[in-house]
Amino acid sequence: MILRLKAVLTIMSVLALIAFLLLKSPTMPSYNPDRDYLDMEIPILRAFITAQDSSVIDLPEGHYLFSQSLILDGKKNIILRGKGIEKTVLSFKGQKQGAEGIRISNCKNLTIENMSIEDAAGDNLKITDSENVTIRNIRSAWTGKVSTQNGAYALYPVLCKNLLIEGCEAIGASDAGIYVGQSQNVTVKNNKAYYNVAGIESENSSQVEIFNNEVYQNTGGLLIFNLPHLTVYGENVKAHNNYIHDNNLRNFGVKGSIVSSVPRGSGVIIMATKKVALFENKIENHKTINSSIVSYEIYVPPKKKKKKKKKKGLPNGVRQVENDYESDTKYSAYPGKIFIYNNQFKNKHWFPALDNDFGKLWVYKNWMKIPDIAYDGILPKDYYTKGQQINPEYKVCIKNNGKINFAALDAANDFNEFSNDVGNYECEVEFEKSI
Amino acid sequence: MTLEIMNVKLNLKNPSKMSPLKYFYLLGISLSFLVSCKNNVEKGTAPIARKVVPKIAITKDQFNEIAKLSEYPFFEGKIADLKPAENVYEYKLNNALFSDYSHKKRFIYFPKGKKMFYRPEGVMEFDVGSIIIKNFYYPSDFRNPEGEKKIIETRLLIKEQNQSWKTLSYVWNEEQTDAFVNIIGGKTPVSWIDHNGKSQNLIYAIPNQTLCKSCHMLGKEISPIGPIAGQLNRNNIYEGMVHDQLEYFVQKEVLKGLPKKEKRPRFAIWNQEDSGTLDDRAKAYLHINCAHCHNDLGPAKNSGLNLTYHEKNKRRRGVYKPPIAAGKGSGNLKFSIVPGEPENSIMIYRYKSTDPGIMMPEVGRKSIHKEGLALMEEYIHSLEM
Repeated sequence: MILRLKAVLTIMSVLALIAFLLLKSPTMPSYNPDRDYLDMEIPILRAFITAQDSSVIDLPEGHYLFSQSLILDGKKNIILRGKGIEKTVLSFKGQKQGAEGIRISNCKNLTIENMSIEDAAGDNLKITDSENVTIRNIRSAWTGKVSTQNGAYALYPVLCKNLLIEGCEAIGASDAGIYVGQSQNVTVKNNKAYYNVAGIESENSSQVEIFNNEVYQNTGGLLIFNLPHLTVYGENVKAHNNYIHDNNLRNFGVKGSIVSSVPRGSGVIIMATKKVALFENKIENHKTINSSIVSYEIYVPPKKKKKKKKKKGLPNGVRQVENDYESDTKYSAYPGKIFIYNNQFKNKHWFPALDNDFGKLWVYKNWMKIPDIAYDGILPKDYYTKGQQINPEYKVCIKNNGKINFAALDAANDFNEFSNDVGNYECEVEFEKSI
Repeated sequence: MTLEIMNVKLNLKNPSKMSPLKYFYLLGISLSFLVSCKNNVEKGTAPIARKVVPKIAITKDQFNEIAKLSEYPFFEGKIADLKPAENVYEYKLNNALFSDYSHKKRFIYFPKGKKMFYRPEGVMEFDVGSIIIKNFYYPSDFRNPEGEKKIIETRLLIKEQNQSWKTLSYVWNEEQTDAFVNIIGGKTPVSWIDHNGKSQNLIYAIPNQTLCKSCHMLGKEISPIGPIAGQLNRNNIYEGMVHDQLEYFVQKEVLKGLPKKEKRPRFAIWNQEDSGTLDDRAKAYLHINCAHCHNDLGPAKNSGLNLTYHEKNKRRRGVYKPPIAAGKGSGNLKFSIVPGEPENSIMIYRYKSTDPGIMMPEVGRKSIHKEGLALMEEYIHSLEM
């Protein structure tokens, strides 16, 4: 009897150990640069406060620690530069005042370059309501082990016009690493984003070109999103020649934020956006989906659960999932004019991640294979025109991506018409010359 | 997860029969918790930094502003007496923003022949070159406000050539012989004897140059807050005589377009019971303490809360209005104002707090205004459900 109990206990213990290991792994990565902090807060703060039109702020070499945000508002022709990513570091670790590291608003012709920005309580670099903005050679990071306590956005231009982000690195953001929100005429090129919940996110932005970026080890790689109830909506997004791989990091987003519902192992997600061209990218090794085309509805919890609505305060700017997107009459919750062509898809994983519904779905419906392209197939009421033709507004075209695993989910009808036939989607979408 | 729970349960039932291995696992689990806890602490703590000065200038910008307050033609005689010179007019407001119990002496400087124009709503229209001067000071004994005092800072709003306003502030020296242009702000200890004869002290925070905009933004422009008709419509003492303040300005030819007496709005005075109903006094108090942000053009426009004196819409005034962007400032309460229940009203929760992430207003105070808080509680208590 006792022997048997012992055996049971031992088995239990072994199982506990396995459970423990499963729960602990994969461990979250860390970013631990060597730092030797200097305090030059007052002279640097003074330079920000006294800046005038056409000011140049030259930050010297060193790792500078700040107790408060550096703020710049309403100036023209400003250059803010350091001596290089490794040389000039602005750290806001443990800051006592303000949520952002650097906050810039209402500026025209602004260049910020050659430095690292670290550990702000909220966003490392936030730029709002500005025009002709260049963000170049900036490493924006949270140090230490990747955690939900990290700030939301690493590079956060929002409501900007004519924006260039190049040669930057974004590390450890608990929302998006490189985030472009509600902006027009945007170029994002030659950047790296890793250890973030979302690597690169274009949200409600238009005329956007995203190319030559490497996006890896995030929860989701590249997100092209369009959300309801914001001041402007996005369309015309071109993403090409990016290397998007191994975005399988456990989701550490703040509960209730939109990115917290992104399943880990998502390479590219195109959500509710019109006119998106995804071409000549290398998209590899994602445990949930290499790329997907989805409607906003897939993120909205079913209506019956509505009474359990949590009204938790979220950090500034973090987007919540909204149930009442239908009340936004200017908003379309469905993707359309999507063209995915000439991409290279690969996957070394032979089994999907089972910690999300998609992964389980692949087990039941897709012979355990992880799709290279998935389309949720949640269709708007006017998907078909009167002649039973597909409304060109909602066209999805997929062409010349080699031998891929494609899945059309038919998610609106309990996956009844789940299909792997990509043939129906072999078409082309014409884009205007503007992008 | 379930397995772990089962395991723990089992342990509780058979405390003596735990295998040594299991201690090991439990230790592992607790250690991992400990490590993650340690991480949490570390994230929010500021490391130590060595103070250094830049070897080369960070910027070529000069702060080309007048360096000392004494260079302005504002005061005659000993500067700390704040005795207005020619073209400088003292004015008072019916209600003042609470700034950690500091007293304020206000003046307007008009260059010769320049003036302001009456506006029934909003701020008076000032000629270019006008300067609004506000001195912050603490009398040593509040029971004798005209006696010995310590002046902390003098803030200026200057109407520039391009019709826009500029903010500047000057910090007084310990000797009270002059004040010097302020860029980065600072802190200074103050103490006084209050109305009950009790001694009080606090660390007064002098805001930096960019913080002016936290309160003085109206749309995309800097704007004065105080000099509006309802606030200026009161008596004041000039040359030892009581005058109607606005009429005195007309007489001195620095105010144009003043309408007849009955057409001039007048705010109730928050702490004078005979000046208006409880409702009016509370609205006046909220106007001067909150409406500089909580108006349709102000920085708090996104909150949907409008606390201007003339706002009639109850919901916009906060009654049963849920928080929009309050974050942890809501204190888990549901509405800005719950009529009859100040203890369940976010407005009171935030006005009672001194935590920078919770308190309202966000800047400009470090202490709680007990008397103002009492008025707001009384007001919310009086509102009907």
